[in-house]
This record gives sequence, structure tokens and C-alpha cells, in this order.
Amino acid sequence: MDLLLQILVNGILQGGLYAIMALGLALVWGVLNIVNLAHGAFIMLGAYISWYLFTYVGIDPFLGLPITACVMFAVGYGIQRGLLNLIARAPMFNTLLITFGLEVVLTYMAQLIFSADFRTINPVYAGSSFTLGHLTIPAVRLAAFGVAMVLTLAMWYFLLRSRLGRAIRATAQNLVAARLYGVEPRHLYAVTFGLGLALAGAAGGLYGTVSQINPYIGATLTAKSFAIAIIGGLDNPLGVIVGGLFLGLIEALTALYIGPTFSDVASFGVLVLVLIVRPSGLLGRTA
Amino acid sequence: MISKSLHAIPFALGTLAMALSLSTVQAAEPTIVLGASVQLTGSSANTGRYYRDAYQLAIDKINEKGGVKVDGKSYKLALKIYDNQSDVNLSVRQYTQLVSQDKIHLLLGPFASNFALADSAVSEKYQVPMVQGGGASDQIFARNFKYIFGTLAPASNYFGSTIAMLKQVKPVPASVALLYADDSFDVSVANGTRPQLKKAGLNIVMDERYSTNASDFNSLLSQIKSKKVDAVLVAGHETEILNFVRQAKSLNVAPKMYSFTVGVPSEDFRKALGKDADYAFGMTAWLPGPTLKDKWFGDAEQFAAAYKAKYGYEPDYHAASGASDVEALVVALEKANSLDPKKVRDAIAASNFDSLYGKIAFGKNGQIDLDQTVVQVQDGALKPVFDGKAFINQAKYPMPSWSGR
Repeated sequence: MDLLLQILVNGILQGGLYAIMALGLALVWGVLNIVNLAHGAFIMLGAYISWYLFTYVGIDPFLGLPITACVMFAVGYGIQRGLLNLIARAPMFNTLLITFGLEVVLTYMAQLIFSADFRTINPVYAGSSFTLGHLTIPAVRLAAFGVAMVLTLAMWYFLLRSRLGRAIRATAQNLVAARLYGVEPRHLYAVTFGLGLALAGAAGGLYGTVSQINPYIGATLTAKSFAIAIIGGLDNPLGVIVGGLFLGLIEALTALYIGPTFSDVASFGVLVLVLIVRPSGLLGRTA
Repeated sequence: MISKSLHAIPFALGTLAMALSLSTVQAAEPTIVLGASVQLTGSSANTGRYYRDAYQLAIDKINEKGGVKVDGKSYKLALKIYDNQSDVNLSVRQYTQLVSQDKIHLLLGPFASNFALADSAVSEKYQVPMVQGGGASDQIFARNFKYIFGTLAPASNYFGSTIAMLKQVKPVPASVALLYADDSFDVSVANGTRPQLKKAGLNIVMDERYSTNASDFNSLLSQIKSKKVDAVLVAGHETEILNFVRQAKSLNVAPKMYSFTVGVPSEDFRKALGKDADYAFGMTAWLPGPTLKDKWFGDAEQFAAAYKAKYGYEPDYHAASGASDVEALVVALEKANSLDPKKVRDAIAASNFDSLYGKIAFGKNGQIDLDQTVVQVQDGALKPVFDGKAFINQAKYPMPSWSGR
């Protein structure tokens, strides 16, 4: 029983990390209709920025998160303005090609700059934990979980309640009408992509505190984020939390009861099931 | 008119290419070209670089000392290397290109068992010998191929010396967990380790396979803790081992010992983990010392120093294995006294010489047999602790709890 409880806690904490990883992807996909295949590579970039700040500037990885997010926002704003806006009206295949290309470029740039060595963000408290009865709760994972929840809620509030968020959603829903109300779509698209990357950057910083970083982690993270966004649904940030937690729990329980080698099979099996039964995601609007 | 001139372009380019390739051939001295496809980018690039760097260093050294003498003629060695981007299929295509298009003379290997397993089919088909020091899986050598040779110790016996040590430590572990990734090398390790553990009378309480590139070991670690496992043996990749150790710390899981097939002997591992690398056991078939002599570098110590000076990082057994592959080819070329791949192949099979890596003598299946020395990270440094029969240095066992370090 203790073991099962511990596994559930592990799954939930991992799920929180998953949620923040998928949030940026879901935002960009849901609003801009861009399936960003470079999303994992941007998470990797965020992880390296946090690692750099921690190792060479001495900034704590959690305190460095806003810096990482700001840098990534600027990167995202620039990429959307300079590159992706050019093909805003083109078929989706073009955005897939461009973001795939970005993924390749980013990965190899990272190897050129940082080499293929693996890095860890290892502050003194990285390995500390506290116990709750028989449960062991890793402090960093809990903190990462907390940050993920706060950011998800902030994103939810921003999109659904704030003026800019409403403008973003309005543009996504009806470009012509939004323009009539004075919305400048090019700027809004860039802000949205920037926000997506800022979230990816924050996710990368958190990822680096619990896992090793190397230039090649991106592809797996994109695939995971993709699955979570689909499972949770694209039109509501809360869905992404549900998707993340769901996936974290499925993986942890599969590892316990069936075997760790089946974790990926289980998570992508769930993805297929969700696509069949509820194509708009667990919390998505039913069509 | 336009279509005519367009048609001329390929011819012009072809002529140009021929002229260029002719000019390089004319300029070069008599050269023996060794071909390889190695992971220089992609997920295995971190270990792949050992092979590129070791090949180049060995070739430079041999050239500096006069090159290779075959049939009264002196040849220089050259390396033709491709980056397989950590993609097995690309690697097979590149080896095919090396032997069929580039007309290299002999082959050096890639890193990792699943690559060597696939690539050796090319060397076998074209009957060009490949000496590789990057694949240890028994699968590679179980097919009676004649043109593949391996200088890593058999995967099935990677944990042999560790298990011998476990019977001599006090207290002897009451329970063992065997964890392994689902690739050719690690499955071979597990298949060889399982019967050895049973024979040693050690109780296997967990026997789990996990996906290659897994980053979440929390479930496995929680089970290790809940079952109070004493000794944990992990066959996996460096990135996985790093995550494993970090998560073990954060979940406060401290068995009496853990040992890893890879990572521990490499400098990066200790750098990435810092103090948390302490107490980790591993194994290596090679430690740079003055007892391992060879004709070109002098001894393994000098090889290690030259390697570190040139590339800025310490060689581990992968690098030594790669350098010995070049030496094995050179020794065989001189002994066969011919560039004929079949004759060189027979000379490789009959190898028996001392290299900076150890004695090179291939078994009937084409694989070398070397003893693994158990090593441990102690106070940030790599210490040899057990040679398969007796302790060389004191092993730090049992491992203290994370809070008690």
C-alpha cells in the first residue's frame, strides 16, 4: 500500500512537469494552429539557458526562471515576426516543415555550442526531500510541480479573462472581425508564439533541475508534449494539467504493474484511445 | 538550345568531379585508407567522439613513426570517417558507401552494439574485415561471421567481476535488483548476468527491463526502496544512469551498493554528478598504466597523456579499445604483407600481440576476452577496487545513506 501511494505521488509530480512542458505547445497549436515540432528543442534551449545562468552567473534555477522565460519570449516573438508570419496563411504542412527545420537547426546549434556532453543543474538542495509518513517527496519535484500549476493557472486566467488574452482568442476565432476591432494580428501572433516559448523555457529550466540535459532531448519531449496536449485538449489550459497528470499516473502505474519498458506503449495507447473516443481531448469541447 | 545546354550541366559537373578526384589521388602518397562511420552528432555523440578521437590519434602516431610497411613499400594511414548522426540505418548506408564507392581498404567500427550488429552485415557481404571496439553484445559474434572482430569484453560477462566481489563483501547482499535497457548490448548483459547471480547464490528480487532513453526512474527506485534491495545492478546508458543517481538521491534511496555498466569510468559522469557520483561502482577492462606496453605510444599511460593533451578530456576504455582496433589492423597488414582483405582477415584472426589496451588475441567467434576490473568513485576520483579475484583497494561498502555522506 505504501508503495502504491508512493508511486501515485511520483506519477502526480511527474505529471505536473509534463503539464508545463505541454502548455506552450498547446497554446501555440490552439491559437495559432501551428503544430510546433521544435517545441522540445525550445525546452532544451530553456534548460541550457537555466544551466548557463546557474553555472556561470550563479543564479538559482528557480529564481532564473523569469529570466529564461523572458529570453525565450524574445526568441519566440522574433521567430514568429521574422519567419512564421510569412506563412501564416499557408497550409499546415508548411508550418510542419519550418518547425521541423527549426528543430534540426536548434539541436545542432546546441551541440556546436555546448557539445554532446550532458549537463545537470545541481543546486545544493537538488537532492533533498521530506517525508510524510512513509512517503518520500522530492523537494525540487514538488517545487517544479508548484511552479507548473501556478503558470498553468496564470495562463488560464490570461487567456480567458485578460484583455490581451481575449484579443488573442478573438484573432484565433475570427481574424476579420478582430481586425475590425483594431487588433493587430501580426503582433498578436508574435506575442502568442513568444508566450508559448516562454512557457517552454520555464519548462526547460524545471526539467534541468530533475533530469540531465543534452542537445538531443528535444524529440522525446515534443512527442510527450504532443500526447499530453491531445489527451487534455487544446482549448483550455486546465485540460493540459489534466492531460499531464493523467499521463504521469499512467506511466507510473504501468511501470509498477506491467513493467517500465511498457510505459511509452501505455501512454501512446491512451493517446490513440482518446483520439478515438474523445477527439477533442478529455476537457475539450465535444464536437 | 536551352534544353541542350541544360543537358550539358551534368556532364560538365561529372568531368569536374573526375578531375578533382584525380588530382587528389595524384597528390597523395601511397596511403591505406581506414573507413568508419561513427556517432559524431545525435544521442550517442558523447561516446562516439571517443572513437573518432582515438582512431585519429592512433593513425597520427603510427604515421609519425613511419607508417605501415607492406611488401617492401611504406604506406601512410588515412581515416575516412562519416557521421552517422546516431542513426543505425544511416550507418549501414555509410559503411556500404565506404566499401563500394570510396574503396577504402579496411574498416574500423562504430560505437554501440546495435550499430556494430547491423554494420557487420556490410563487412561480411563485401568481405572487408572490420575491427570494432564499440560493440560488446554477444549477438554480434554469435552468427559465425568471418569479417567482424571485437575488442570489447563480452557483454554477458560485464558484471562477472562485480558478482565475484559481491560474494566477498561484508555483509553479502541479501537481495539483488537487475535493471537493464531494452537494446542489444544491455539485454546481452542481463542475459549473462542472471545465471551468474543465481550461481553465486544471490537472490534476484527485481528483474526489470526499461525503455532506452527513459528519464523517469521514480517507479523503479520506489520499488527498490520498498523491497529493501541491497545491491542494484544497472545495464544502461550514461544519460539514464545520471537520471537514476539523481533521482535515487531525491527519493532518498540508498541500497548497500549500486553498479553501472557505463558512465562510472568516464570523466563526464563525475563532472555532471559532482559529489553525488561517490560510491558508484562500475567496471572497466582498461586502466591507463605503465604495464600495458605497445610499439607506438610506449605504454597506456603515455597514450592517455597524449590523448588528454590533444583533446582536452581523459580517455576511458572506449578510447583505448578504439586505438587498439587501429593497431590490430596495422599489425595484421604487416603480418599478411598484403593489402588483400582476405589475407588481412586471416592475419587479424591469428592476432596475438600486446597493445596499449591489453593483449589482442581474438577468440574463434572474433571477440576478445578481457577481465573487467571493478572500479568505484571515491572522493571524486576513480579507484580500481577488485580485479575479479581479490581486492586491489578498499571498496567503500556499504554505501551510507544520502543524508549520512
